[in-house]
Amino acid sequence: MSERKLKLLHMYPNVLDLYGDSGNVEVLRYRCAQRGITLEVYQHLMNKPDNTDFSDMDIIYLGGGADYEQQLLADDLMSCKDRIFKAYENKVFLLMICGGYQLLGKYYKDSNGERIPGLGLFSYHTEASTNKRDRCIGNIIVETELVGKKYKVIGFENHGGQTTDVKTPFGKVLHGNGNVRSGETEGYCEERVIATYLHGPLLSKNPQLADYIISKALERQGADSTLAPINDKLEEACRKELLTRLLSK
Amino acid sequence: MKPLNFLTVLFGKAMVKTLKLMGRDAGNFPGLVLWTLNKNYLKVFSCDCPIIAVTGTNGKTSTTNFLNNLFRSLKGKNGKKAKIITNMQGNNLDTGIGSMLLQYCDMNGHIDADYLVLEVDESHVPVIFKHLKLETLVVLNFFRDQLDRNGEVETLILKIHKFLKTYNGNLVLNADDPNVARLGYSNPKNKNVYYYNVEKYEGATDELYEAGEGRFCPKCGEELAYDYYQYSHIGRFHCPKCGYGNIKPYVQLQSIDFENNSFSFEGESYTTKHMGIYHLYNLSAVYAVSKLYNIDHRVVKKVFGKFEVNNGRLEKFETANASMLLNLAKNPVGANMTLRLLNQDKGEKELLFVLNDNIADGTDVSWIWDINFSIFNGVTRVVTSGTRAYDIAIRIKCSGYDPDRITVQPDLDKAAAEIFKNGGTKYGIANYTAIQPTRAALKRYIERKGGEKS
Repeated sequence: MSERKLKLLHMYPNVLDLYGDSGNVEVLRYRCAQRGITLEVYQHLMNKPDNTDFSDMDIIYLGGGADYEQQLLADDLMSCKDRIFKAYENKVFLLMICGGYQLLGKYYKDSNGERIPGLGLFSYHTEASTNKRDRCIGNIIVETELVGKKYKVIGFENHGGQTTDVKTPFGKVLHGNGNVRSGETEGYCEERVIATYLHGPLLSKNPQLADYIISKALERQGADSTLAPINDKLEEACRKELLTRLLSK
Repeated sequence: MKPLNFLTVLFGKAMVKTLKLMGRDAGNFPGLVLWTLNKNYLKVFSCDCPIIAVTGTNGKTSTTNFLNNLFRSLKGKNGKKAKIITNMQGNNLDTGIGSMLLQYCDMNGHIDADYLVLEVDESHVPVIFKHLKLETLVVLNFFRDQLDRNGEVETLILKIHKFLKTYNGNLVLNADDPNVARLGYSNPKNKNVYYYNVEKYEGATDELYEAGEGRFCPKCGEELAYDYYQYSHIGRFHCPKCGYGNIKPYVQLQSIDFENNSFSFEGESYTTKHMGIYHLYNLSAVYAVSKLYNIDHRVVKKVFGKFEVNNGRLEKFETANASMLLNLAKNPVGANMTLRLLNQDKGEKELLFVLNDNIADGTDVSWIWDINFSIFNGVTRVVTSGTRAYDIAIRIKCSGYDPDRITVQPDLDKAAAEIFKNGGTKYGIANYTAIQPTRAALKRYIERKGGEKS
């Protein structure tokens, strides 16, 4: 069998890096390495133009950021619009957390009332209350069917933005708020898109979701997409404890 | 005498007394009750003595303790040792400070002391010093800390910035934290701005090694350039566009010597018990204050050389053949500082990590992913505990550490027994609500078994 290799583009790693979101890349790298898959990580930095071919990537990742930082990078993100659209058409897997999720929609109106235009790749949009204390904060559990069966995704949400007009949500909220305060659904997804408010980081406590992303990325290459099981005893014990604690309330 | 003030003080003091009779610590409660009745209750207090306050994300308790020890050595009004009122135990919200002042004030709310040395939570600086006249404010650093409770770091800085716009007292600022140094511009008319820092040390790096906060110029938004990073985003920075950051410090800690635990200020040599880089920054802040108040350098030398905070801040626990250095870490920078000490230590060691997600900790534990475990020299085993014992175990595993060498033991007494199962060197890290229970569990273990060899 030939060596399996994936390329991940981490956009704005030093700007969109709130709440340990870069941990998602660390989890993907770890789970790839356990299967002998090399994960090469490339970066796109703000105001540092590069010629990276986004469509040559297998996964594009955007984390979450503070309002101030999201404003700063809006222009740079806009300059990447064509490349991101093309990558999406070429079935590159898009993983976006919080700020990344918001910025790929139509627009984001932040807690200062400032309207930041989004890329408009997806039709949802987000508005935050100008009361900075009005935020959805806490542990959250979302049930998704993206991975081919019902799977409970555990994370932490902390967002002022309320996202509406979401055509295909990532999952159903079992505990927490989701896209809007006391909402029923959370995030946005397609076969090769996950956009969500979940920090934690997202992939740390949801190994099957991480593996779904890896195998979809391999599948696009036409490579063998089967992933051998690895030692997930800690993750399983952690999930069992948190699901009991949060869902029995 | 204002009758309303009298009644407020009377009622407050009665609460403190009752709590004491019940054998309880006054803590936050009396202040909280008064605050509920009147949001401006702090104005009942008056005091003529200088107030020195310390704020910032990390190091408040240690710095305040050092300052308290320095000021105690001065002579007071009556020619005897100075009377200091201080909140050394870390009750640093307005309600905690109010409760403490109630215990010391007379029935008119007047506080008689030579100095008030206070540690103050970052977000409570404006509300507390709206009513109490501040003479010196020390700002240590701003790191991401309990984001779910405190909000974004920027919001916090803007709050203090707004307060400082009309402040004319002494302002002692960390010159190497771009988020702190910017506060020197809050009030351009204030001539009493003093910067401190630490000269480049051997552990400094060219690239950011640990998650940092101040990436952009607070004046013009340009990305800041760094000559070097001491730790996290603390280092010698400047803005290539507008020149922000060209600061001449009032004091600088120099000639750091790790072998002899020594360093110098203005040619004079000093020693300390621990040589963590963040600790040296705290000492530099303390030295700046000592200089402002003309405290004899021989006194400073004695306090620096002898004083230890303990209380879970680099505290040692020993059994017959094992020893643990336990350190509080409320945020990634705190944990990274302990890991730096662990990595400086060349031998083999074991690590105990206790992680809770109680409300006072912030219920979001994702900050542990901002801890840099990429260097983990000679760690032969890890024991994790606390309400989020599994989360920290997964974090360490995904950094590439062998999961079979991680033991998860949510119960603290069992975790203490587990970590002392073998002899040798241990390091302990515990977050905010975990630190006191961890200390208690370690002490219980040592009482029972500490005399025996593992």
